[in-house]
Amino acid sequence: MEALGINGTGLLAQLINFALLLIILRAVAYKPIMNMLDQRAARIKESMDNAERVKEQLAKAQEDYAAMVEQARKDSQSIISQANQIGERIRQESQEAAHREAGEFLAKAHAQIERDKRQAVAELRKEVGDLAILAASKIVARSLDGESHRRLIEETLNESDKLSSN
Amino acid sequence: MKKIGTVILLLALFIGGAIFFPVNKPHVQLPAEKIGDVAGFPITNTMTAAWATIIVLSLLFLFATRNMRMIPGRLQAFAEMIVETLLGLCESVAGKEKGRAFFSLVATFFLFIMISNWMGLLPGYGTIGVKENEPAHVEQQVEQSKEHSAAVVTNAVERKDGAAATAESSKGEELLLPLFRSANTDLNTTLALALVSVLATQFFGVKALGAGSYAGKFLNFKSPIDFFVGLLEIISEVAKIISFSFRLFGNIFAGEVLLGVMAFLIPWVASLPFMGLELFVGAIQAFVFMMLTLVFLTLATIGHGAEHGAEHGKAH
Repeated sequence: MEALGINGTGLLAQLINFALLLIILRAVAYKPIMNMLDQRAARIKESMDNAERVKEQLAKAQEDYAAMVEQARKDSQSIISQANQIGERIRQESQEAAHREAGEFLAKAHAQIERDKRQAVAELRKEVGDLAILAASKIVARSLDGESHRRLIEETLNESDKLSSN
Repeated sequence: MKKIGTVILLLALFIGGAIFFPVNKPHVQLPAEKIGDVAGFPITNTMTAAWATIIVLSLLFLFATRNMRMIPGRLQAFAEMIVETLLGLCESVAGKEKGRAFFSLVATFFLFIMISNWMGLLPGYGTIGVKENEPAHVEQQVEQSKEHSAAVVTNAVERKDGAAATAESSKGEELLLPLFRSANTDLNTTLALALVSVLATQFFGVKALGAGSYAGKFLNFKSPIDFFVGLLEIISEVAKIISFSFRLFGNIFAGEVLLGVMAFLIPWVASLPFMGLELFVGAIQAFVFMMLTLVFLTLATIGHGAEHGAEHGKAH
């Protein structure tokens, strides 16, 4: 053993050296670095999870957005069609009202015309009667008194009236 | 022309180097040289080398992890890369939980052995030292080398002559006593590492399986075959200590001798490929030591009858 250089003190010294190195390296190398590696791995995992979550959220938001746009499109379409309906109704109503008014106006005008016509006919009849009496009295020259003449003319006119109204 | 000139210069250095710049004959000695005493406790040059390794590793990681950041700087990234690679290896061999339990020990083996081996190749290791002129001390070493001349791969005769000359007329060749010598060229170091490895195996085995169950692997009276297998297990545990320590020691010591001899034969340039080789061997030995320890630890914690093929890599 001595020739190989093995001796108790040397062996002990190297055992102590190794133990010392083990302790030092554990303190300054393995523990801090392994902690750091684990920490970094955890951090990376966390950020990857976060990214995943953000991606999901984004997808969801996009979905929501699309749904919202779709809803808005539907709403606007229904509003437009409603507006169209209302417009149509208003148009019809106003058209009807115009028709009605025009009708009424026309009817009034007709009635007025009828009334005027009647009056004119009545006046004309009276005038014609007077003229006829005048003319007849001039022709007959007092063969008949005025009163009987009038009666006669009236009857004639009534007859002619009946004839004309028929 | 330039190329030819370079080639001629290299050749001249190659051939003439040994003549114009002589390098001392390598002095090969198995035990580590004692360079002093501290309170009666002998300090050898492999101890100083081990301390140097400890200081280098401690400072490296201390600076790297002094203020850790989530986004690492270069040094922190480098340290993290080392730890992460070793941790990944541990976890892939032993599983997630066990890998973490074994990690400190296994990684320290790797870092200590590799950095020690590589630092042993630095200029200054084996060349900076004090001249040895203490006759009594030399005398003692000569005695050692005389006794075990077969074991010591050395020019023992030269040394004896030189030492005798020093002792007698004090004008012989002085020997250099290097202050640093690669830590793993000392069996004390490698044996200490091997003991730690094997004892840790027993510790983790007992911890994982319970004392009774773990002891059952070695002492089994159920059948003669099991008993015999148990005996073999005991032998294999002892053999592990020896194989661990001598494999590492042998490789690194042989490397040092090889480099010394190469430098003596052809001092310039020719040593370079061998330097590269030794760098490779140093890393491989560290890796082998680490992997074997890891595998033994893993096997010890998963119960009986799974010891096959664990000693591959012994070839190194």
